[in-house]
Amino acid sequence: MNITRRSMLQTSAVQVGALGTTLSLSQYLRAQEATGQADSGRSAILVFLGGGPAHQDTFDMKPAAPAEYRGQFSPVRTSVPGMEICEHMPKLARRAEHYTIIRGLTHTLADHGLGTRYLMTGNLPTPVVNYPMYGSLVSKEMPAEKDLPSFVSIDRPVEGPGYLGSEYGPLSTGEKPRFGQPFRVRGITLDDTISIAKYQQRASLKDDLDNAFRGYESLDDSVRGLDRFSQQAYRIISSPRARNAFDLTGESDREMDRFGRHEFGQSALLATRLIEAGVRFVTVLMEGWDTHQDNFNTLGRNLLPNFDQSFSAMLDRLDAAGRLASTAVLVTGEFGRTPKVNGNAGRDHWARAMCALMAGGSVQGGQVVGATDDKAEGPQDTGYSPDDLAATFLSNIGIDPKQEYQANVGRPITVIRNGKPIPKVLNS
Amino acid sequence: MVQLRQFKFTLPIDSVLTVLLRTVLWGTVLWGTVLWRTAGVMGADALPAVNERFGGEASHEVPDFQRHVSPLLGHLGCNGRSCHGSFQGQGGLRLSLFGYDFDMDHKGLTGSSSDGSHRLDRDQPDQSLVLQKPLSQVDHEGGQRFAEGSWEHQLLRNWIQSGAAGVAAPQKLAQLQVQPAEILFAPQQAPVQLQVIAVWQNGDREDVTPLCRFRSNDDSVAQVDAEGLVQSTGAGDSHIVVFYDNGVEAIPVLRPFNRTTELADTAPPAAHGQRHDIDRFIDEKLRKLNLLPSATCSDTEFLRRVSLDLTGTLPTPDEIEEFLADAASDKRLRKIDELLARPAYAAWWANKLCDFTGCNPSQQAELGQETSVQWYGWMHERLRENIPYDELVSRIVLASSRAAGQSYDDYAAEMSSYFREDSPADFARRQTMPHYWTRRSMQKPEDASQAFAHNFLGLRLQCAQCHKHPFAPWTQQDFQEFSKFFEGMKFGVPEDSRARYRELARQVGLNVRDDDGNNISREVLKQARGGRTIPWRELYFDLQDDSRSLNLLQSGKVALHPNQDPREPIMAWMSDPKNPWFARAFVNRVWAAYFHRGLIEPADDLNPANPPSHPELLDWLAAEFIARQMDMKWLHRTITASDAYQRSWIPNQTNRDDRRNYSRMIPRRMPAEVVYDSVKQALAANDQSEQVRTDLSRRAIGHLSMRLAGTYAMQVFGKPDRAVNCDCERVNQPSLLQAIFLQNDPLMDDRLAGSGWLEFLQQQQTSAALPDHETLVRQAWLRTLSRLPTADELSRAKKQFTAAESTVEGLRDLLWALLNTKEFVLIK
Repeated sequence: MNITRRSMLQTSAVQVGALGTTLSLSQYLRAQEATGQADSGRSAILVFLGGGPAHQDTFDMKPAAPAEYRGQFSPVRTSVPGMEICEHMPKLARRAEHYTIIRGLTHTLADHGLGTRYLMTGNLPTPVVNYPMYGSLVSKEMPAEKDLPSFVSIDRPVEGPGYLGSEYGPLSTGEKPRFGQPFRVRGITLDDTISIAKYQQRASLKDDLDNAFRGYESLDDSVRGLDRFSQQAYRIISSPRARNAFDLTGESDREMDRFGRHEFGQSALLATRLIEAGVRFVTVLMEGWDTHQDNFNTLGRNLLPNFDQSFSAMLDRLDAAGRLASTAVLVTGEFGRTPKVNGNAGRDHWARAMCALMAGGSVQGGQVVGATDDKAEGPQDTGYSPDDLAATFLSNIGIDPKQEYQANVGRPITVIRNGKPIPKVLNS
Repeated sequence: MVQLRQFKFTLPIDSVLTVLLRTVLWGTVLWGTVLWRTAGVMGADALPAVNERFGGEASHEVPDFQRHVSPLLGHLGCNGRSCHGSFQGQGGLRLSLFGYDFDMDHKGLTGSSSDGSHRLDRDQPDQSLVLQKPLSQVDHEGGQRFAEGSWEHQLLRNWIQSGAAGVAAPQKLAQLQVQPAEILFAPQQAPVQLQVIAVWQNGDREDVTPLCRFRSNDDSVAQVDAEGLVQSTGAGDSHIVVFYDNGVEAIPVLRPFNRTTELADTAPPAAHGQRHDIDRFIDEKLRKLNLLPSATCSDTEFLRRVSLDLTGTLPTPDEIEEFLADAASDKRLRKIDELLARPAYAAWWANKLCDFTGCNPSQQAELGQETSVQWYGWMHERLRENIPYDELVSRIVLASSRAAGQSYDDYAAEMSSYFREDSPADFARRQTMPHYWTRRSMQKPEDASQAFAHNFLGLRLQCAQCHKHPFAPWTQQDFQEFSKFFEGMKFGVPEDSRARYRELARQVGLNVRDDDGNNISREVLKQARGGRTIPWRELYFDLQDDSRSLNLLQSGKVALHPNQDPREPIMAWMSDPKNPWFARAFVNRVWAAYFHRGLIEPADDLNPANPPSHPELLDWLAAEFIARQMDMKWLHRTITASDAYQRSWIPNQTNRDDRRNYSRMIPRRMPAEVVYDSVKQALAANDQSEQVRTDLSRRAIGHLSMRLAGTYAMQVFGKPDRAVNCDCERVNQPSLLQAIFLQNDPLMDDRLAGSGWLEFLQQQQTSAALPDHETLVRQAWLRTLSRLPTADELSRAKKQFTAAESTVEGLRDLLWALLNTKEFVLIK
């Protein structure tokens, strides 16, 4: 239509509104300052179970299948009649009304890299388009308050901002919080040798010396942008709000125990605190699910009890504070695992069937949506695609999955091209 | 007459009343139009406008599907993306997006609707859905598109009545002539109506103005309505683009920034001696727009700018002082030559060429990290040698894994030798570089042709894969034919090497399941490091055994002989001086690296709807580049020696709003790799500084470039993954995370804490040999901002020492502050 539309993302212009009106960065910043951002008021937590959890040993059990398929675990009843999950998650079994299990998710990319990219973008990976991760979409559409980052990854990014550009990438903490050890967040925590007072003193020296463009601050987008982001960075680094949000030392012993003193417990606690503080999108990476060997010991003794404890605590805390209704939660890996147990008591990559959990926001908890066949090999009927899962998750956050961007590939791109929200998961 | 037309077009578009009024008004202007046309040179022998020919009950002329019906559907928006052009269609009817699939569109219009009734009734045309829908006589989601009795109605009706013929063989549009050829608005000048004549290859000429689609490339300069009436909306320059059939024509539209012409008559100050060729073109346009260029930038600004742009490296304090002390008038030119001779030039521009060609570790089919490092090193060596650009490209495009006559065993031994721990062979000395073709992303011919067109021709063919390109003349068929050149390219094990491959695989214990071979595992690579020959897959062709003739994007046909490498005719076509894109794409990309934009912007989107801001300049640069055997250093030297490049960023009273005409330098953020290296250099000890700058194996702009790809710092500052076909993947915009990074990232803390310069001063501090504060402050400025501090800055900086616990700590604070100024991270 015009120059700003075509050069959209290169010039960091920002698209707003349904009609795709485009503004330059400076116009956008001014508009945003004047009006504030209209958004759904929702935030989101994504727990990524890296490696691909065995669906049939967690939330899609097949007790009637032959032994080499059903594995070593038994299902238990949950607080919702007819809904069963693995015996190693007793706490989640008592909270089934809070979440929905989505079964019969299916795709074909049984490779960690490609599968992760698919599940974390909701678009089949292609060599010609880099799709953005959900958190980047949220960063763009619903940025956080000025003294907080919009999108935080604990501890590293699961996928990048893709065609939206680096401006919408996550702030990665760089490490996971560990109980009893000081936690440094990349870029947020000040080095031990630098006090807040010293940082502020340096910043004021910088302000005094940043003279070159005095009188011309509003002339060029690059200059305006640097000023604005530098001020925002200062607010985030110096504000007690961001620092407190990342600081777990204020949490009581009881709360530490409730979430668990293990790595995932601390990460889940941090994610919850960040959401409480006003961060819009947090990813928590929990790894170790790539159980080619010793699947049952790994899951039964370690991963499932930890996940059970921390994820239950997260739901409880969000619910008690009335935040669960405004926080869209998604738990997923990149694929499921082979129906048959292999010779090493493990299960291998399997993309034809997997499952996911959703909670919070408009999710109608206490139900199972979708199903797999009797050996959990593939979906009954056609199943749901990662695109559908993505469309559901984004709808729950308040982002229209059919929205379009003028992306850097020279044509308009629909956020989730092929997916439709999975029926019944969300309250209409 | 022109006045009447203007009145007509200022009316609102939508109401029936207006449409009727328009019809009446067209009648009144018709006679005048005919008179004017007859008098005009261009329209003299052309058939009158279609609205005249088909308007009115009396007209019985039979419209042609390609010439009239299909463009009308485009003009009315029927085949747009949100209407019937959508891939799902709309209301059961699907038309090809932006037209040009005549068969599909004809079938669509003459077919049945969802309830089984025919869309078209040749016997009772008025009963046709094709008329009833756009007339809104029956429910139509798209609403009313034309009024009863309008020429559009009449045109479609005549077509149906005459039997609704389709297109037997498409006619070729020879040219789209647009009048006026350029619009120069004075402030508040009246709107201008465009007239468009289609010239067909058979000699027919007809006025197709009412059937065209029009677009303004910048609404803040000019707007155009659906009928081609152009209205000035602000100062500046842009283009109005006209679309008809597969023709695209762009008309420059300008409005001067200032009223006073005296301003422009003042000759801009020349930086040195005679006018530079580039500046002849730039100045001419500045005069047209009444813009006065900004003054020449200062020597320190020039030195910093040209060092960063040419070599990705900050000048050293000594170098700055030396340059300032040099009184000779040719010192800038000498500096340019000096920089071009430095290894850092080859390092930085190899990195840029890796951007343009898509060197990406994660897309490599084999040993991603290693092959991308080889790719970079090979590119670097060619730039160091400064071989002609077309030769460089041909050694990539025509690359093969095995040299002519090389046996498989020799090939495997050669590849293995690059990995030998003990005196490895140097991949960079290879004649050709095959990694371009062996990427996973090049395996499908359609993907390969898109990447190829983007990398070497600056063309974006993506759209044409699925439909007619909306802005360029490419059709789906053009795309398919071009893609055929990339068929048959394979990466694996050709039949004649399979036995040897398997034997080598067995020797090193590599599992091979099928004929195509297998990835080289870390274990196997270790054996190559130990000096063994390991099995390598290779690039080979499944050559076609038939002859064919293929069209190269409408710019020539090539005969492909049996068993001929299809890349040969493409390369020959590209290196032909008459190739419309090859040289232009490169000179434009290089230009874009020295300014905030290309002469064509986006720099990798050469298409007729996106014309250059300075067409004569681009033509001249490309022609001279070709005439000088595509000497890349000549190109860099010529651009950086121009006044346009050497201008200050500070505006004068005339050019604050100009961003297209190089009347001043627009500040740009340093690229990711340059930020990384510059921070390191600014903090290095004096005696390490030289090594930090010149040890390219440890520079982010140099050989570390591929190893650093994907790291946090590179991601935050927008180093491209080179995963998609877009130069815009390199992001040079500022962001929040960049500010957080520079203020407080552990990497920055480490750099400041471990600064070699500060460590050295710390030692001097204890031995009381520390230079005075003023000397240190001056050094800090030269190291970071490449200039001396002003008196105010000096006194403010000195104050910091009184607050700090020691001189060295005060200096650390000062360096932190300087590295966080806008001036540090911007190239201004």
